Amino acid sequence: MPPATSTAPAAPRAARLVAAHGVSKRFGSVLALDDVTVELDAPATGLLGANGAGKSTFMKALLGLVRPDAGRLEVLGVDVARRPAELRRRLGYMPERDCLPLEMTARDLVVHLGELRGLPRRAAVLRASEVLFQVGLEEERSRLIRTFSTGMKQRAKLAQALVHSPELVVLDEPTNGLDPAGREEMLSLVRRLSRDLGIAVLLSSHVLEDVTRTCDAVVVLREGRLVRAGRIEEMSALGQHGVLVRATGDVDRFAAGLSARGLVARRLDGGLTVTGAVEDVLLDAVRDAAAEAGVGLRELRPAGPTLEDALVDAIE
Amino acid sequence: MSGPAAPGGADAQIRDVRYQRDDGERRGRVAGVVSLARWGALRALGARRGWKAKIVPIALVLAALGPAVVLLGVRALFAERTGLDLTDALPFSDYQAIIGVTILLFAGIVTPELLCPDRRDGTLSLYFSTAVSRSEYLAGRALGAVLPLLLVTLVPMLVLYGGILVFEEHPLGYLQGNWAELPRIFGAGFILAIYYAAVGLAVSSLAGRRAYAVGGYLLLLIAPTLVSGLVRESVSGGAEALDLMALSTLPIGFAAKLFPDAADEVPNAIGLWALAYLVVVLAAVAVLLRRYRAGVDE
Repeated sequence: MPPATSTAPAAPRAARLVAAHGVSKRFGSVLALDDVTVELDAPATGLLGANGAGKSTFMKALLGLVRPDAGRLEVLGVDVARRPAELRRRLGYMPERDCLPLEMTARDLVVHLGELRGLPRRAAVLRASEVLFQVGLEEERSRLIRTFSTGMKQRAKLAQALVHSPELVVLDEPTNGLDPAGREEMLSLVRRLSRDLGIAVLLSSHVLEDVTRTCDAVVVLREGRLVRAGRIEEMSALGQHGVLVRATGDVDRFAAGLSARGLVARRLDGGLTVTGAVEDVLLDAVRDAAAEAGVGLRELRPAGPTLEDALVDAIE
Repeated sequence: MSGPAAPGGADAQIRDVRYQRDDGERRGRVAGVVSLARWGALRALGARRGWKAKIVPIALVLAALGPAVVLLGVRALFAERTGLDLTDALPFSDYQAIIGVTILLFAGIVTPELLCPDRRDGTLSLYFSTAVSRSEYLAGRALGAVLPLLLVTLVPMLVLYGGILVFEEHPLGYLQGNWAELPRIFGAGFILAIYYAAVGLAVSSLAGRRAYAVGGYLLLLIAPTLVSGLVRESVSGGAEALDLMALSTLPIGFAAKLFPDAADEVPNAIGLWALAYLVVVLAAVAVLLRRYRAGVDE
């Protein structure tokens, strides 16, 4: 599979956020990463895969926490194997599992982690206030973390990952363990990182919706191998397979109207499959032709597999 | 963002607390070690936690200061009136031996706080995802153990020295006559702090829970001391070397050798004490490095 290089707006600081070439990693008899080659430069990229697909290993390899057995990894233009410490100062990392010191307050934790990433103490204190406000923990900043709910702990983990203004933040399963409301809030926060705050995001999840709602591009891993990578909008099947339309009224006139607009309309299973243009043009033409012919639209859906179908197939 | 100055308050500012990029100064990796030491020392002393976490360390520090405070108090209240001579009542060479149990307990309480919670809470993976390396983490935690330990190994002797100086009729004369005690006091303080910190951290690195770490630490230090004491009782001659086996008092014997008034009373040559001391400290460091090598128990 060729490397996925999107045409999305450049990430905040580095044109190419991640470049992996033939990266492999084995733990005993388990091949966690198998010759993974991919380039990422979208503002927000989702790393999808079932449990055990190699997502966390790939993320840890990006951070220099796991050394690949083979291959080369560059993050923000820095060779991970050569300068991992320098790189980690420019990255933020939100681990999946519990990792917060329970006997610290949220504020102290964020200040401390800011200092460890190179911020002077005064700057760390100021930044801690800012990021705790951003993640909605400003009221709880002086509480011990052991008194936090799961959602608050996830927010604290996110806050410590952002305190030093990272160029790229790596989020490992950020919605794990959250209730529906907490998940909504976390996804909104993640989306804001790349859209509003200018921080590139690499998010791993085994929940498809988490990725499609927050990311611009997706990388799918299965059993350690890269099986799909690219921009989400390009993976949409509408352009390739068109739409299936079921209409009431004068369907022949409706089909003629579509043809007059340069589209191809074929009868299929009591409906019409319409192809011949990119997604936006196609949908506009269907709407206009239906209005012109005076037909009612009973059903309008992608004729081929949906994005979800494609990604689920790749994951499984 | 800053707003106009408030009336009558030229320095007043309105700060925008929204998230903004920060491209300001970044400190070197030594600053990370200092941060680990600072936060570790605060945690070990129970700072920013409930009174239960503070009471034991504070009580032990007060107990370590006790002999010095009592002596200085007696001297201030009674010595001048009664003509009591307390000049040699509490020699610096004996001070650490007098409060030896307090130091032992303090180290047993403090050092597990530096490593065990990080292992229990899984915080190591978070630390190592920053620019901090494993050796820097250990350096920070070791410094974080030594600094609180100085509160019981060094500060009481400095208080005693300072108190004597203050109560002397001729402070400058005392200082001139006894200035050489100061480097000895510092040396003794650091010898004990480094030793108990290294041993305490090494034991803590092997234990998942604080209680096990405290128990293991006390067992490791007290058991050889009891054995060497029993053997020494039953052996008639040449048993001085057994004092070097008494791990709980080994650094106290070594430190006492620094003071001329006690050097003759403490058996064995200072070189032997130094050698035994180094063996124990280096063994503890080796355990720590092995326990925290890459890939082990993050």
